[in-house]
Order: sequence, then C-alpha cells, then structure tokens
Amino acid sequence: MSKINIMTLNKLAISVAMGLTVGTASTAIAAEGEMSGFVENATYYRDGVGLSKFRNTLQVEFAKPIESDSLGNSWSNVSINGVLRGTYDAVYSLNDDEFGKNATEPYLGSNWHDNSTVSSAALLTPGSPLPCENDPLLCDNLDGYMDHSEKDVKYPDFNDELDFVRELYLTADKNFNNGDVLSVTLGKQQVVWGKTDLFRVLDVINPVDYSRHNIYDELEDIRIPQWMANIEWRMGANSIFDDSNLSLVWNFDKFRPNNLGTCGQAYRMIDAGCFFSSYVGTPNGLVPIIHDVEEPEWKFSNTQVGLKWEGVYGDATFSVNALHYRQQLPSLHFRAHPTMAGLPAVDGVFDIHFPKVNMLGGSVDYYSTQMDSVWRLEVAYSEGEELPRDLNGHKETDMLRYVIGLDKNLVIPALGTGSAFLISAQLFGEHIQDYEKDMPNEKDNWIGTLLFKGWYMNNRLSPQIIIAHDVGAAATVVAPSISWTPDNHWSFNLALNVKSGGDKKFPWSVAQGAVGDFSGQYEPLARFLNGPIGVANQEDELQLTIRYSF
Amino acid sequence: MLKKTLLTMALSTMVTGGVQAAQISDEVIQEAFYPYASSVPEVDGIKAGMVINQANVDSVKDVLDPAMYQFIKNGDYEMKVGKTTDFALHKSYVDATRQYAGETKLGEKVGDISGSIAGRPFPQEPSMDDPRAGEKLAFNYKYGYNWGDSAAIKPFYWKYRDMKSSKVERTVKFNFHFLNYNHRTQQEPFPALTPNPSNLFRAIYVQVLEPFDVKNTQLLIQRFEDDLKRDNAYLYLGFQRRVRRLSTGQTTDAFLGSDVMIEDFEGYNGRISDMKWTYKGTKNLLLPMYNHNELELDNETHKDKDGYKVVAFGGKGGCFPNITWQLRKTYVVESEPVDPNHPISKRQHFIDAQTFTIPRNITYDRKGDMWKSWSIGQAHPDNHLPQNKGTGVAIDDSFSMVDIQANHCTTGQFKGIVDPKLTPASKMTVQNLRASGR
Repeated sequence: MSKINIMTLNKLAISVAMGLTVGTASTAIAAEGEMSGFVENATYYRDGVGLSKFRNTLQVEFAKPIESDSLGNSWSNVSINGVLRGTYDAVYSLNDDEFGKNATEPYLGSNWHDNSTVSSAALLTPGSPLPCENDPLLCDNLDGYMDHSEKDVKYPDFNDELDFVRELYLTADKNFNNGDVLSVTLGKQQVVWGKTDLFRVLDVINPVDYSRHNIYDELEDIRIPQWMANIEWRMGANSIFDDSNLSLVWNFDKFRPNNLGTCGQAYRMIDAGCFFSSYVGTPNGLVPIIHDVEEPEWKFSNTQVGLKWEGVYGDATFSVNALHYRQQLPSLHFRAHPTMAGLPAVDGVFDIHFPKVNMLGGSVDYYSTQMDSVWRLEVAYSEGEELPRDLNGHKETDMLRYVIGLDKNLVIPALGTGSAFLISAQLFGEHIQDYEKDMPNEKDNWIGTLLFKGWYMNNRLSPQIIIAHDVGAAATVVAPSISWTPDNHWSFNLALNVKSGGDKKFPWSVAQGAVGDFSGQYEPLARFLNGPIGVANQEDELQLTIRYSF
Repeated sequence: MLKKTLLTMALSTMVTGGVQAAQISDEVIQEAFYPYASSVPEVDGIKAGMVINQANVDSVKDVLDPAMYQFIKNGDYEMKVGKTTDFALHKSYVDATRQYAGETKLGEKVGDISGSIAGRPFPQEPSMDDPRAGEKLAFNYKYGYNWGDSAAIKPFYWKYRDMKSSKVERTVKFNFHFLNYNHRTQQEPFPALTPNPSNLFRAIYVQVLEPFDVKNTQLLIQRFEDDLKRDNAYLYLGFQRRVRRLSTGQTTDAFLGSDVMIEDFEGYNGRISDMKWTYKGTKNLLLPMYNHNELELDNETHKDKDGYKVVAFGGKGGCFPNITWQLRKTYVVESEPVDPNHPISKRQHFIDAQTFTIPRNITYDRKGDMWKSWSIGQAHPDNHLPQNKGTGVAIDDSFSMVDIQANHCTTGQFKGIVDPKLTPASKMTVQNLRASGR
C-alpha cells in the first residue's frame, strides 16, 4: 500500500474518530459514554545543560458503549474507546543552544564521553542536529526514520502517522451458551504481554518511542499504538485450570520501528541518532554513516501475528507466547565499496534494516505462602534478530532473554505508615546465542532492578526509589521520587534521575586500519556496550511534573 | 431391656448406613432466624423516634457499644432510634441450615471445619460454657448469607475525610462484585459452582472508576474453602496494563489508602485461624439497621435514572451516617490476633444474631486503647431498590471507619444490587482484569 493511500486511510480514520468524539460528546457521552483526561506540564532540568524538557500535554480518553441490539443479540459489552494526546515541548525554543536544529555538538558523543579517543576526535564528524533542518543529503538518507523537522520534535504527536490519536478501537464480546466468551478488540491499540516491569521481554508487540524520556517513562505512555485485531477466546475454569484463555493478535499496521530520538532531541537512546547523522572520514572523503532506511512496505506478508495461551493453575498464573514480528531496533547492513576492499560505498556506510523475527516464550508467577511473596519468571527465545558487530556491521543470532522477579508487600510500622510497602526486585538476563568476539555486547549480561515504594497520608503521598544496575556496562541509575496527590484532580511528582557509567570502550577496526590505533574507542561501538544507562551518564536530572485530571 | 434397646439402635444404625446426624430442631431454627416473631427487644428509656444525644446518653449507655457511647457523649454524633424490624434471610438459606447444619463440626485446630455445605453452620444459641463458642460464631459470620450467592455494589463511593476540618480529601468511586462458589443456596447452580478445581469459596472483584489517577485499577481477591490457605489476590494497574500478583499476608495493610484494613473489610476479612475467638455474651444493643427509602438521603453524591440516592453523612467530620438505629439481639465476640506482631490487640465484634452480619466493630491497639470504630449500616431489602425486594439479603448500605486516634475517617455510600446477571463467574477471573482494563 502506498504512502499516499496510508495517509488517506489515516485521515479518514481520524475524521471518523473526531466525528464520533464530537457526536458522542453532544449526545450519548452525556447519557452513557464517559470522558476523562488531564493537562500536564513536565519540567526537567539537566545538570550542566539547563532545561531539558518543558513538555505540555493534553490527553483525553473516552469510552462510548454501543447498544448491542444494533449488532445482533449475541454481542455484548460493545464499545468504542479512544485516547487522544497532544504535546508541545517548548525546550526547543527555551534552550535552543542545547537542543533543536542549532544544537551542533563539538564532537560526536560529546553528551556522554570525552574526546580522548581518535574515533570522535578525528574519524567521525559530530552528528547533524535535526538533519532535515541542516543537511539535505542526510535528510534524504534518513527519510522516514529520523527525518524530523523542528516543528515535528516540538509537536511530536501531530505527525504524518497522526499519533495524536493514540488509541481508537472497538471492543465486543460474544457469549456462548457454555459460558465461553469470544472477545474482539479491533483498532489502534496497545497489546501488552508479560509480567515484567521496565524491561521488554514478551512485551514487544508495540514499538516504543524512547525520544520522550529514554527508558524512564511508563511504557503505557511510550508504546506506539498500532492498528491490530486482538481476538480472545475466554474458556474460564475447567477441571484442571481455574482459568484458560487463548488469544490471537494480528498487527496489520504498516511496520514502525522504535523511535530512538533524532540528533538534536533532548533524549537519544544510546545516542544512536547522532551517530546515524554523522559522517566517517575515508580516503574517498566524508561518507554518510547511513545510506538508506528500509521501510517495509505494507503488504500482507509484512504484517505481524502472535498467539498466546494464558491461564491459572493452582497458585500459579502462566502464559505461553509466540510472535512473528519485525525487530524494532535498527540493524546496520554494511555497504562495501564495489572496488576498494575494506572501504564503504561512497554514498553511505550502512543501510538500516528491520529483520523478521520469530519469538517463543512464556511467563509464570507463583505466590509462595511461606515467604508471603510472589515469584515471577518470564522467558523469550527469538531467532532472526540481528546485532551489531565491528566487521560487516551485523550478524543474525538467536537470543535468549529472561527476567526473574520477586515482589513482596510488607507493612513496616517503624516507617510511620500503616500501608504496606512494595518491594520488588528483578534480574534481567540476555544471552547471545551466536556470539562473536567483535560484537560490542557481552555474550551474557544482566541488569538488576530494585523498587521500594511506600504510601502515606491515605495514599496521597507516595515516595519511591528505583535502582537499576547494568552489570556488563558497569552503569547504574538511581531514581528517587515523591508524588503528592492533594485531591481528586491535582498531582505533583518530584524526581531525581542520576546515572553513572559510560566508561566502557571498544576497539574499532576502522581506527586500527586508518591510523593504527588498536586501543579502545568510545565511538561508534562502545555505545552498545555502555547501554542506555551508561550512555546517559551526563544526563542527571531534576524533574517536576504537575498534572490536573478531569 | 437396656441390652435389647441398644441392639435395636445398633441395627437401626446399620440399616441407615452410618451414624445419624443430629437433627436441627424447629425451635433452634425459629430462634436463630426469626427471633422477633413474637416480640421485639424492649429496654427502658428506648423508644422508636427518640434521639440519643449528649444530654441523655448516660441513661441508655447499656444499649450502646463503648465507642458509639463515647462519640455521642463527646457530641460527635446524635443517634436516631427506629423500630426493630424483621430482617428475615432468604428461605433457601434457612432450609439449607436445616439440611446441613446437623453435620457440621469443628476440627481439632482453630479454623478447621467439616460438613458445612451451605446454610448457617452452627445455628444453636452459643453458650458461655463452650470454649469454642466464639469460633462457631465466627464461622457463622464467614458462611453467613451476607450478600447472598452473588451481588454488586454499583457504584460505591468511598470518601476519605479529615475529621477535624470535615474536608473530604479524596472521593474514590468503585464497582464491587461478590460471588460465592460454594455454600450457595438460592442462585443456580447450588450448592456449588463447578468446575472449581482450586476449591474457591468466594471472590471479590473491585473496579475503580474515579478519580483519574487510579481509574482502571482493578483488584480480584479469591478466597479458598480451606481457611488455612491465604487468599490469592491480583491487581491490575491501568498505567501498567498488566496484572500484578499480590502477596496477601499483609492483611493489616490499609485498603487503597483508606482507614479500613484489608482485615476489617465487611467486619472481618481474614482467616478464622488467625484469631483467638471468645464469645462474651448476648445483649440487646442499638445497631445500624434501617429502611433506606425512609431516610433523608444525599442529594449530591449520586444521581441516576433509577432515582436512587445514597445515604447521607453528618456528625463530626461528616463521619457518621444519617440513619436510624434499632434494638437488636446481638452476640458480642472478641477476636485477638495469634500473631504477636499484629498491630492490634483485639477487636470487639457486635454481631447481629438474626443476619450474622457485623454492623459494629471496635478495634483496640496494642496498648489496649480504642483505635478504630467500624459501622456498616444494613438496609432492609424490601425498603431499598425494587430488584432487592424479597431477596432476604441485609443490604450493606453505608459504612464508616473512624480512626479515633488519627481523627480521620473513611465513609462508604453504596448502591447495593442483588442480581445474578451482574456478577457472572466470567467476571471473577484474572483474564477479566486484563480485558476490562484499558
């Protein structure tokens, strides 16, 4: 399906959505539907940089039941649901020296490391901020992936994909005489699998927008909703299971990758955006890092499908999951010079691809009465993923990811509240099955997280602290925060986000070949080794969010 | 002669195939379920229509529980007295008691019970000479008719109030649903829902509707038939869009930040085996039981097309329901935690003898001081919503939990509906949490 057709369909969908919203607001919402939402300001201050976010948000959510008679008596709980969101981030006006189209960095990676290695000092240029505002060649090469204008980053929801319609879907249940229920949810939505906080092991159906706030925002706010059909067959209890359900997810939307943040934006996952908008020096002159981004066209064979069986057995809840999808992180395919061995093509070093992936996994949680704690395990094995490597750019490898979690609610009177604290610990593990020595990753790596959260003043005051440590990257983030909800409408959240790490280097074959430097380099590969926590080591922030809900 | 009689009895036993269960006599049934058939409690100085206030409370102290006496004495509340009325339970529950109670026995350990299929396990009058009388009354409450086989509170308004300033700090709007898997008597199927492989006894499903920051929060609590087994609890948080399993050992946790502990819910919401139960006697006391439709109700909190309005609140801090109270035959039971680290030293339960609901509780802290006062108002089903008429369910209609020491309270205003269509078994599942959440 061509881009024009998609845009037409999208616009049609929006017209329908707006019509429903207006129509229902004037009639049925007053009678049966419901609408709620909030306005919010998020002001973040970054150490050494100044204002890093001044984001203003309006979000409206609605649900409109539909009389099921119009669909036949066998359907019930029929409703149209939607979430609309618009944001404006004024940081690109208020701190335009640091962020936006004029925020040229002195060298590549200046936001996370020094300039002591030849990779950034001599071989790679700084990234071009918002390439489509500054560099027509890069703009063309990154078209459809990192082609944001300054207006796009100020108003990220009002894009060609009409992301201001975050969700818009129809749900309906069909009840059978034996008590089974067939439930259909059709439209733009988020489908969430798994039981893990902070990490995405099974929760990979929707891509994610990391440009909002790296990995630190709630996934609900940064998942990119997709047009999908989610069909569930709820079988209820039988002689063995207390609950048993089968669901099919068909993502028929055009593929969208994760949004890693474009160079010049305030948040850039592992600073990939600036690397992609830089050039490398070669004997043939400066060559852009990225030549082209493969945009899988919309066709049936490019749609994504998943199957899940989920249930309750005794004290355990479990799921078995299978998914055929596309890798949402970019895979860099090297483009060799046609005649000069070892050199890249002069019109671009890499093409970005998003390979097809098959995943099989599952999850289980179990309540231990003896420990009065809940154990969680989530596992995903995938084949088809491509990881970066120094030689040839990428390699296909099977991956194993898993999380072990432990949750406990504990009343601690000495801390002055009768409400139980939540203590939650997780260990995330990742194993690269077909590991190569020139991969800028550990063959096995782990990230541990700890959450400690309490409630005071009838749950109106809630302090918490989250700590995460990336073992391979030797990087840590400590994020204490406190939220205050004085009444039914206002809420205030004050948070600190402090990261350390970013010291890992990785030898780069280009530095070896070009200048005989065999020492570890920061650019370009150590960004993967340092991970999202380590690369953000100079992004310590104080954050205040004020929200009014209605 | 005696030998012949014994032989006859033995033969008779062989023919009937086992030890015969003790029969529950009509007198026991009558006293248990229809105590006001021929007369109602009368106490000097108590008359329907009177108001008990600071001026006259000392003269009627004996018909008030200690906390309510103190509130009135302080001028925090004025109590209106109504007529004693017959809150007859549904005939199916009475018949089930007649059918099964004779086979019910306590086990060796506290919390063990056998033979209780449906109905009231121990309908006989308690005796001060019975060391386990308190535990029997606790089981009568646990397996009481309560909300019947299933019901919903839809909607349910909880208000968190500063008792000094009367400021309502938060209003949380819920839907609650209750479903019995076992001990069913009236809604088909009975006595049990099948399949039920884990032998669940009961489930409670809670859905938060407002305010926005907790909207879409859902809670599912599954209680097992085995009293020793802890509940399974599942929490769905809207902003996480996933179900989180909860550890349920912390029963003293404040329920959703309110003044109500999980353990306080409905009067007592823990394991029988977690407490030492002591029967303290039977008294005639004023309990919060009334006719909803005859009250002056709250015109603001809830409006719907049925014209239904919820109970209004007043008194100090707005912590006390504007209802009438009636003289009732009341069993006084004390429960003391077995766990020495429990934050309370005991609860006094004032159990209505006819319905076996717990309209009044007083909680004492570890020092033995009064800490919390719990009231749950019971509305007569025939004087409530039309669909509740004839259900025989004493409708939980208003609650107040006053934290006396913190000068804070949580109040509850209900629209209780007894209708099996509102709470099918499919609603009480983990998958329903995911499906109903956004």
